[in-house]
Amino acid sequence: MYRETQKIKFTLGPDMILRTECFPDTVMTLVDGKESTRISAEMVNDVPLPLLCDLTNVVKMSQDCRRHFSGPEHAKTFSKCALIVTNPVSRVIGNFFLGLNKPLKPTRLFTSREEGLWWLKQKEHVTDLIA
Amino acid sequence: MVDPGDDKRLNDILDMIGCIASLDFSKELPTGSHNDMLDAIALGLNMLSEELNAQVVNREKLDEVNGKLEKFAYTTAHDLKSPLNSQSGLLQLLEMSVGNNNQEALEYITKLKLVNERMKTLVEGILAYSVAHFRDIIKEPVDWNALLLEVMEVDSVFKSADVVIVDTLPVLPFNKVAATQIVRNLLDNAIKYSDKTRCKITIGAEPFENHYQFCFSDNGPGIDPVNHEKIFGLFNQVEPSFKASSVGIGLATVKGILETAGERIWLQSKPGEGASFIFTVSKT
Repeated sequence: MYRETQKIKFTLGPDMILRTECFPDTVMTLVDGKESTRISAEMVNDVPLPLLCDLTNVVKMSQDCRRHFSGPEHAKTFSKCALIVTNPVSRVIGNFFLGLNKPLKPTRLFTSREEGLWWLKQKEHVTDLIA
Repeated sequence: MVDPGDDKRLNDILDMIGCIASLDFSKELPTGSHNDMLDAIALGLNMLSEELNAQVVNREKLDEVNGKLEKFAYTTAHDLKSPLNSQSGLLQLLEMSVGNNNQEALEYITKLKLVNERMKTLVEGILAYSVAHFRDIIKEPVDWNALLLEVMEVDSVFKSADVVIVDTLPVLPFNKVAATQIVRNLLDNAIKYSDKTRCKITIGAEPFENHYQFCFSDNGPGIDPVNHEKIFGLFNQVEPSFKASSVGIGLATVKGILETAGERIWLQSKPGEGASFIFTVSKT
C-alpha cells in the first residue's frame, strides 16, 4: 500500500512495517506532522504497527511537530519507531527528538535501514519500552 | 584554510551562542542549503534556542501563577481569621450559658473549641507561609544568640526542652522577623515531634568562607532519608512522627523564608538517631 503527500511518501509492506521517507529538503511543521499521523493511522487501520522513519531528507522539524511525534496520538498509531539518520542534520534532529521530546513509544536511532528493520522485527523487550 | 563562506557561517554560529548565553532567543541561523556539519550545528543551536525560550516562558508563567496562588492563600487565610475569632467568643459564651449541669453539652463545646483552635492554628500557619514567600527581605544586623534566647523566653521553650547553644551564635545581616520565624519553627518542630521524656536540642553555627551554617539538632525519632525532601513540603507530615496537633506548615515556611533570601536548608537524619536541620546564612 502506498500513499504520498507533498512532503512525505508512505509505504506499508507485507512485513506490516510502515516506512516513511521525505522528499529532499523537507521542512516538517505541525500541520505536516498531524497530516502524517492521520494518513498513517488510516493505512494501519488504527492497529499500532512498527514505523521505519527515514529522516535523511528532513532539513528542519519545528518544535511543535517534534512534540506531536513524541506524544500520545503518534504512540497510538505506532508500536515502536526506528529513526534512520544518515547525515549530520538528520542526526541532530533525531537526537533532539530522543533527548528532549522523549517519545512515548519505544524509539531508537539507526544509521542504516537494515539495522532499523531488524530491530523493528524483534519482539518488544522491557528495555525497549523504556528506551 | 577556511572557506570564506564557512568563515561567515562560523561567525554566525558564534553570534548565536552569544545570544543564547545572554538569554536572547530571537535569533535563528539559516540552515538547509548545505546539509553538512555546520548546518547540523546551526540547526541544533536553533532548536536549543527554541526549547530554552519555551522553558523560560513556561517558568515565567509558573512564577506568575504561583505568585497569584500565594496571594490568594494569604487573602483567604486573612479573611478566615475574623469569623474564627468570633466563633471562639461565641463558644465561650455558650460554655458559660450552658453551666455545669449539662456535662454532655460541655464536652461537645470543649471539642468544638479544640477544633476551632486547630483551624486558627492552620489559618495562622498559612498566613505565615504566604508572607514568607512574597515578603521583601529587608536585612538588618541580627544577633542570632539574643534572638534565640528571646524566642525561648517568649515561647517558654525551657518547660519542654533542654537547649544547648554551642559557643556564641554570630551577628549576621538578615530580616529579623524572618529569622524569628525560622528559629521558632525549628524549635517548635523539635519539641512537637519529640518521642523522649525530655527533648534535647543542640544549636550551633559553623563559619565558612562566605556564610555560616546553622545546625539545629534534636534527640527525636529521626526521619527516614526517603522523606528528607518531603517534610519541607506544605501540609506534609511523615510517619512515624505524625502528630494530629501539627498542620505541616512550619518547615515549609522555614524553607520558603530561606530560599527567598537566597539561602538553603537541608536535613541530616536517620530513624532513631534524631535529626539535624542545617541552613545557611550569608555573611553579607
